[in-house]
Amino acid sequence: MTAGHASHAEATRARQLYRALLRLGPRSLRLRHGEEMADLFLDALAGARSHGPAAVGRVWSAAVWDLLRASIARTFTRRHPRLPQPVHERRLLMLGTDLKYTLRSLARQKLSTALVVVMLTLGIAANVVVFGLVNGLFLRPFPFPEPDRLVYINETAPRWNLEVVGVNFPDFVQWRQGAKLFEHIALYDGESFNLSDGTGAERIEGALVTHDFAAVLGVRPLLGRTFTPEEDRPKAEHVVVINESVWRDRFGRTPDVLGRTLKLNGVAHTIVGVIPEAIRFPGNVKVWVPLAGDPAQDYQSYGASGLGRLKAGVDAEDAEKDLLRAHQPIWDARDKDHTVSPYARPLREDLARDFRTQARTLLGAVAILLVVACANVASVMLARALARRREMGIRLAVGASRTRLARQLFVENVVLATLGGAAGLALGHWALRVLITTAGDQIPSWANFDFDLRVGAFALVVTAATTVLFGWAPALHAIRGNLKGAMHEAGTGTTAGPGGRRTLSWLVAAEFAMAALLLVASGLLFRAYERVKHVDAGFRPDHVLTFMVALPEASYGGDDDAVAGKQVNAFWDRLTARFATLPGVDAVGLVSCPPLGCHWGNFFAPEGRAPLKPGEANPVVLQRPASAGYFKAMGVRLLKGRFLEEQDATGDRHVAVVNETFAKTFWPGVNDPVGKRFKNAGNPKAPWITVVGLAGDVKHYGLERPMRPGMYFPLTVGRFNTMTVAIRTAADPGAFTATARATLRELDPELPMFRVRTMEEALRRSMAQRATYSWLLGIFSCMALVLALGGSYGVTSYLVSQRTREIGIRVALGARSADIVRAVLRRGLVSVGAGVAVGIAASFGVVRLLADLLFGVSPNDPAILAAATALLFVLALVANWLPARRAARVDPMRSLRTN
Amino acid sequence: MTGRTLKTTWYYILLSLASGDRHGLAVAREVLALSDGQVRLWPAMLYGALENLSDRGWIEEVIDSRRRPDESERKRYYRITRAGRAAAAAETTRLASLVRVARARVKPRAGETS
Repeated sequence: MTAGHASHAEATRARQLYRALLRLGPRSLRLRHGEEMADLFLDALAGARSHGPAAVGRVWSAAVWDLLRASIARTFTRRHPRLPQPVHERRLLMLGTDLKYTLRSLARQKLSTALVVVMLTLGIAANVVVFGLVNGLFLRPFPFPEPDRLVYINETAPRWNLEVVGVNFPDFVQWRQGAKLFEHIALYDGESFNLSDGTGAERIEGALVTHDFAAVLGVRPLLGRTFTPEEDRPKAEHVVVINESVWRDRFGRTPDVLGRTLKLNGVAHTIVGVIPEAIRFPGNVKVWVPLAGDPAQDYQSYGASGLGRLKAGVDAEDAEKDLLRAHQPIWDARDKDHTVSPYARPLREDLARDFRTQARTLLGAVAILLVVACANVASVMLARALARRREMGIRLAVGASRTRLARQLFVENVVLATLGGAAGLALGHWALRVLITTAGDQIPSWANFDFDLRVGAFALVVTAATTVLFGWAPALHAIRGNLKGAMHEAGTGTTAGPGGRRTLSWLVAAEFAMAALLLVASGLLFRAYERVKHVDAGFRPDHVLTFMVALPEASYGGDDDAVAGKQVNAFWDRLTARFATLPGVDAVGLVSCPPLGCHWGNFFAPEGRAPLKPGEANPVVLQRPASAGYFKAMGVRLLKGRFLEEQDATGDRHVAVVNETFAKTFWPGVNDPVGKRFKNAGNPKAPWITVVGLAGDVKHYGLERPMRPGMYFPLTVGRFNTMTVAIRTAADPGAFTATARATLRELDPELPMFRVRTMEEALRRSMAQRATYSWLLGIFSCMALVLALGGSYGVTSYLVSQRTREIGIRVALGARSADIVRAVLRRGLVSVGAGVAVGIAASFGVVRLLADLLFGVSPNDPAILAAATALLFVLALVANWLPARRAARVDPMRSLRTN
Repeated sequence: MTGRTLKTTWYYILLSLASGDRHGLAVAREVLALSDGQVRLWPAMLYGALENLSDRGWIEEVIDSRRRPDESERKRYYRITRAGRAAAAAETTRLASLVRVARARVKPRAGETS
């Protein structure tokens, strides 16, 4: 060829360069055929020279690519003599062998296998618990057909300081006529009834619903029918639709239940239909009664909720616009300022609104926890893999391929992850059940947390993810490790390669970073929880028992309000007097809505106030009819004037006790509002009401919520059939329940006592949600902490055990034990310190996401940050000191001899 | 690869050795000539393939009988084995039948022939 044209020097240079490039290619080829490969390359190069520099360049790049490709191909194919069987058969055989090897090796290392499975189980279980909650709250479809087409409808009035007002019946009638994008719109209002059947009385949850409620939900009755429009009118016949559970429990599933009656609030209702058990929306609803609204009646209150089924393809936003359009005539007629306006939201969004931030926080926390667990498992597996380098080396030497070894590691990981996944799913499922049962009524009753396919699939995905997460480090080291090195190192007992050590330190650092992040987050939440617990409730929650009593209209005065009012009040007087005589009772009082109970709002105007300008705020006032004894029973504070008294009940003068917020809102700057007057803002003929006392604010809506203006007035001015009885007892209020029940039965055997709770219990329940997620996060962060400490301890112990010989030499050369301890500690704490620093730094950004839950605690609270850092360091010091001390006790003679 | 298509490069290498024992460089040159300059075997490809073929027992190394004393490194010569001839023959049969089918089915039309 044309090689003769190239100078000899040039050819030598090309050969040298190609020989260097040969390092890109497989090692064995280079060693065996290096010279010949160079000859072949030079031959090709010489051929190209005559075609110019471009051809030369092509030859060089082709040669480089040739080498690289061979290297890549080598990674995937075995380089040792093949077994004679066909490939697929061999693969099957080997998978079986892998499994056998795996089980054998896992069984041999019982402790570390158990450790790994336990860590994975905990990590996966925590994820299953939180995902189970998220699934029940956000993902699981409602038990109605096409639940995505359901929207929740309500009204809002920012000027009244009310985000949610409740729906006004005439407004609803207007929408039903005017809205175009809905298949059906219905109204419902939760209501409980006294259910009496001669033998005793019970309180049963139910709902007042418009006749098309069943059509909105898409519910078909099991028996009979739902309501007709005629039945949903004032003064119509009394009919009821019962839930399957009532049919079963009270009627033994008899098919002739239709036409029988159910006595609700003393009135016989004819049963017209039975609906399936699953339909308990919105709460634990067991009976439906027609709402029977009257569109013609003036001054109707707001309070119901709306539910709509959209036409196909309509979204909630369009539905809301449609509602607003339909609402226009109402604004024109009686609300020119547009104070109240309707809104529509997807049903799920409305119901699950309160859980969003918490769910996100917990999901984030468990994901981090799982990563920590995986890091820990990875370090155990890596340590194990490093310890098995000799075994691996021997297997490589006798002909096992790297792929084969990697596959065996992979099978091992899959087996471990599957064990952990199955145990995690079982444990998580159990923990979720326990959580749901203990959380009680904090869990919304529309949510269903039974096991479903989604949870199963989630567990599977998490398990697969963990396999990758914890498997990569050991697998990488097994593939990269070099045969001779492995044999050599393992044989002489020196430390694992620096690569393995570095990876272990990184894993420890990562664990500490994440543990620090979780500790800071849970510390903040607990601090917020403490702060909420110490909020002044405005009443004395100890030693108070409350329960509700509802006097059925049928047996207490009928339709005439004046007559009924006397009869009802006479009963309340009798009840108060009777309870006051019981031993162990310090005070008895009645109130419509106790703290943390219900809300009944109204609008008031102080004397002399100019008419409201358009757009001016008109905050709603919490009004509560109360008896004279209530204030003492509940322990409300008096700031000025006096509380309500017995005489107020009989006088013609209208009086009220107002709270601090009321005084500040209506008479800003006035120190003592006693003697001032105000009246109902909506009714020009309403009488003036004189303030006789100023009471301290009670945290009526919960310790975390601001208080609205509030006022108490004598319950004798009207007819209040449903009241809460508050009893201040000398001893344990819970123990008083039986006496109270007996006394009530003595007064009227048909009256059930319901919503029985002590005020301490009510407070606890109001904080239960916060308590639940704070504790969950606390538990998760403690788990992360324990895992990180265990990881740090394990890694340091492992490294010390690998360095026994080196330490022995150092001791023999005169190192003191303090020096050894210091050296070991330094190594361990450097990764801990790096991890904690990163974790704390990351927490600055991450905990901002928690701001909604922190109740005013600063996300960067220095005390929490310092405490978390200190805690991590002190515990890490202990975790590293134990192996360090062991290292310091190494007997140089023995350590040198054993290896 | 048993029972399947033989890699083109392997087939060419077997063919080049069918006419006599050669060392690597000679194989590469022969393949280039056999394929009318279409198939150039790059070093790693060639020596990788030679190793693979001898792993399979289709070729074997022969001690270089013509080794000159001044040559610093021994050149490896390769010889095709009985199994290698069988493999090459099987591939030839396969290709021949493929070509037969192709000729029968796809008749070159005017204007498409090159």
